[in-house]
Amino acid sequence: MSAPAIEARGLWRRFGRRAALADLDLRVEGGSVTGLLGANGAGKTTLLRLVAGLLLPSAGELLVGGVAPDRGDPAQRPRLGFAAEQARLYPELRVAGFLRFAAGARGLRGAEARQAVEEALERFGLEGVARRTLGRCSQGMQQRAALAQACLGDPPLLLVDEPTAGLDPLQRDAVHAQLAERSHPRTLLLCTHDLDEARALCDRVVVLREGRCVAAGSPSQLLGGDALALFADGRDEATA
Amino acid sequence: MTPFLALVRLELAVLFGSPLAYLTLTGFAGVSALLFLEPLRVYNQLLFAYASTNLGGFDTGAIPDSVNLWDTVFFPVMDSLGLTLLAAVPLVGMRSFAEDRARGRDELLLCSGLGPGAIVAAKFAVCAATVLAMLAVAFVYPAATLERGDLGSAHLAAVFLALAGLGLGLTALALACSALTEHQLVAALCAWALGFALWDFGWAAPLTSETVARGLQALALRPRFAALSEGLVSAADLAYFAGLVAVGAAVARASFDLRRARA
Repeated sequence: MSAPAIEARGLWRRFGRRAALADLDLRVEGGSVTGLLGANGAGKTTLLRLVAGLLLPSAGELLVGGVAPDRGDPAQRPRLGFAAEQARLYPELRVAGFLRFAAGARGLRGAEARQAVEEALERFGLEGVARRTLGRCSQGMQQRAALAQACLGDPPLLLVDEPTAGLDPLQRDAVHAQLAERSHPRTLLLCTHDLDEARALCDRVVVLREGRCVAAGSPSQLLGGDALALFADGRDEATA
Repeated sequence: MTPFLALVRLELAVLFGSPLAYLTLTGFAGVSALLFLEPLRVYNQLLFAYASTNLGGFDTGAIPDSVNLWDTVFFPVMDSLGLTLLAAVPLVGMRSFAEDRARGRDELLLCSGLGPGAIVAAKFAVCAATVLAMLAVAFVYPAATLERGDLGSAHLAAVFLALAGLGLGLTALALACSALTEHQLVAALCAWALGFALWDFGWAAPLTSETVARGLQALALRPRFAALSEGLVSAADLAYFAGLVAVGAAVARASFDLRRARA
């Protein structure tokens, strides 16, 4: 069996007295699309930020691509793309300028950077707004720009938090198509509240409640008719 | 393009995308011009008053030694420029980290392949370049005075070191304050408070022992700045300003670890 893309063992993350993650064990295989499901406050975003190295674990072990993601030296950190729930962008920058920065920050240079930006603009349907400032783009466009920057440089691991929150159905479908295209063989870890989204995109879903993994398995196994019960009252059945 | 240069370009675009940068630069240029012209006007009036004779002619021999370009124009201009830097530099540095943190963009930067050290270095480079641009305009005035006083290029270089050392030291302090908060105004207020507190500890002398007063004064900005302004370049003064930059950068760098560990 190959090394997992993400492996957490006894992972804890506390904020004051509250444990956002409590003794979490998780294994995400390379090349899979894993959905993190759970109610608000279940610990999904905290887990994503730990994987991205933006938070330090309070206890336990977390390995991303075999290394701890919280290393200070970027050369030693796992290569990943991260798209946060609310697009955190620079409203004064043009879309193309923002993507040029993202390409440069990932070490792409010259023609390679230009080509990557052009491809990202085309792939994410942003050519029409390439010269528009991000502050004047719709939420859907900003979300796509955030996804486009996360995918630049073709990172092997993509972390996406609520990618379609607040989008209309057309924009949501477009984002789903992009994520589906960007997945295999890359690893995608997706936080979502949307069960349809999880069914459409994920090979495997992990349900978190109060910082613990309460169920894990394929969408067909877990997201049946009474899927909402997993969020509400707990049905501890780690099947995977 | 290296990640560092990519962030430098981005920071420049963001800084100069805001009217505050232009207002600060213009304001600094205007204030520094006024600060030069006022002592110059006073100096010219004193010259005229002392040198005028009852017969309507001029007698330069009647001008007392205390009325000279050095004491009447140069020192007041340098002192005022120092204080103007104290006021202006926090405006340049306040948004650097605080705005990113308020908008959650620091996470975007950290996931873009940039390490905390590179982020601090790029932000410092942009703010330092802006402050040096401000100083390039203001440098004209003390330079003109020195030129008129025929004090030579070595002294001119020392004055530039004084202004650059103070400017870069204050930039690092402003960045450190910005790195510890999500509020730009709080960052600016902290940087102003810190800058003015460090400016001169002469007030503490009557309140403390001589040893403590001397120790405090060793930490003060003004004596170092004044010594360089007088043309007295010492390794200790340069090391002091370099140390300020290092401390500010270290605090900004440590703020990333603090945020990741925060409970």
